[in-house]
Amino acid sequence: MFKKIIGRIRAWGSRPGSLFILIAGLAVGGVSFASFGSFMVYANSEHFCANACHEMQPLQKEHKGTIHDMNRSGVRATCNDCHVPHEYVPNYLAKLGLLSDVWGHWTGSIDTKAEFDAKRYELAKRVWVYMKSNDSRECRHCHTTAKMDPDKQTEKALKRHEKGRLEGLTCIECHFAIAHTEPDGPGPQELFSVKAAAADAPASAAAPVSTRKD
Amino acid sequence: MPKRLISKVRRWAAARRAIVVLAAGFGLAWVGLTLFGTTMVYTSTEAFCATSCHEMANNSNMEYIGSSHDRNRTGVRATCVDCHVPHAPIPLYIAKMGALNDLWSHHVTHTVDTREKFEAQRPKMAQRVWTYMKGNDSRECRHCHTPANMDPDKQSPIAIARHEKGKREKLTCVDCHFGITHHEPKSGPGPQELDVDRSLIPRSAIF
Repeated sequence: MFKKIIGRIRAWGSRPGSLFILIAGLAVGGVSFASFGSFMVYANSEHFCANACHEMQPLQKEHKGTIHDMNRSGVRATCNDCHVPHEYVPNYLAKLGLLSDVWGHWTGSIDTKAEFDAKRYELAKRVWVYMKSNDSRECRHCHTTAKMDPDKQTEKALKRHEKGRLEGLTCIECHFAIAHTEPDGPGPQELFSVKAAAADAPASAAAPVSTRKD
Repeated sequence: MPKRLISKVRRWAAARRAIVVLAAGFGLAWVGLTLFGTTMVYTSTEAFCATSCHEMANNSNMEYIGSSHDRNRTGVRATCVDCHVPHAPIPLYIAKMGALNDLWSHHVTHTVDTREKFEAQRPKMAQRVWTYMKGNDSRECRHCHTPANMDPDKQSPIAIARHEKGKREKLTCVDCHFGITHHEPKSGPGPQELDVDRSLIPRSAIF
């Protein structure tokens, strides 16, 4: 059966070409390119991201009402603004990474709330590590540090931003758990600080230990 | 000329296997569309828009710098295209075609090549933008600003009252929020005085 189809394709392919076949190739290329592009756009939409699987729905509920959903000016950041790279190649790589979500969905790794809560720390940590590793690239896609008006920020914010710059911190080290519920366990600053690196590795890598000071 | 080209391509295709010709067409489409898309993205950047001609760099961009869409508390910006170019694919391509008009006036008619000429044209140009924005219910504003997600607790009482009044009177964003980034023209009607028939244009239309 398979052999027969391949044989047919081979027979068709070895005929001489024509202008019509070139045009057909252009059409197939055009349609596939447009489909690929449209899918990339659709897969970035809130409609797809937040609703395609039931696992994401609690995360969308957490996002609702946070500053990135609802604020003075109604300018929002949706799922992909924070969690998907905006440059082409990293974007496509991230989309391939989605296959892992499909796998997780089928194997039921965070199928229930209990399973999700048990894994929340690990999932949060993964995002923090990623954001730290690229200097909070996705934050900075919208938030341009050089374009922040000091006159419009509080005294405290100015001081802390200055301090953060001096200490070489990145956005996520202070601005974490601002859109989703904070899990128990060491936060980004404890994970990435020099002290944490000096301390024994397993302690900082271990799952939920409530060492966060409030 | 096109006839000769077509017969050349035809001969080229006939000398090759069908599968090769099909693959060539496929590859050509992908390369062509990638170039097309890249051009669309590049011509939408601030680097291109604000500085490729002195008409924009010396006037519109200088006025924009420091305005609330450039510089604010959070550093979240709106650049040229966010307000002035549609975001849905088809209107975007149409708008890009319209930019040919800019090339024409830059190279041929020199309509706004000095500050004086720019100032003289300003009321006309501003009214054109206001009419466009009124006509599509400030679609580009709403691409970023979602009224349903504006937090009333974070807005001033006067803002809430005025937004309420604007909704009742069927005003659109630009009716009040004009001259916020570029200088307001010294003469001519403001957006509220312009008469635009919006009944024919469906909201959130793709075309």
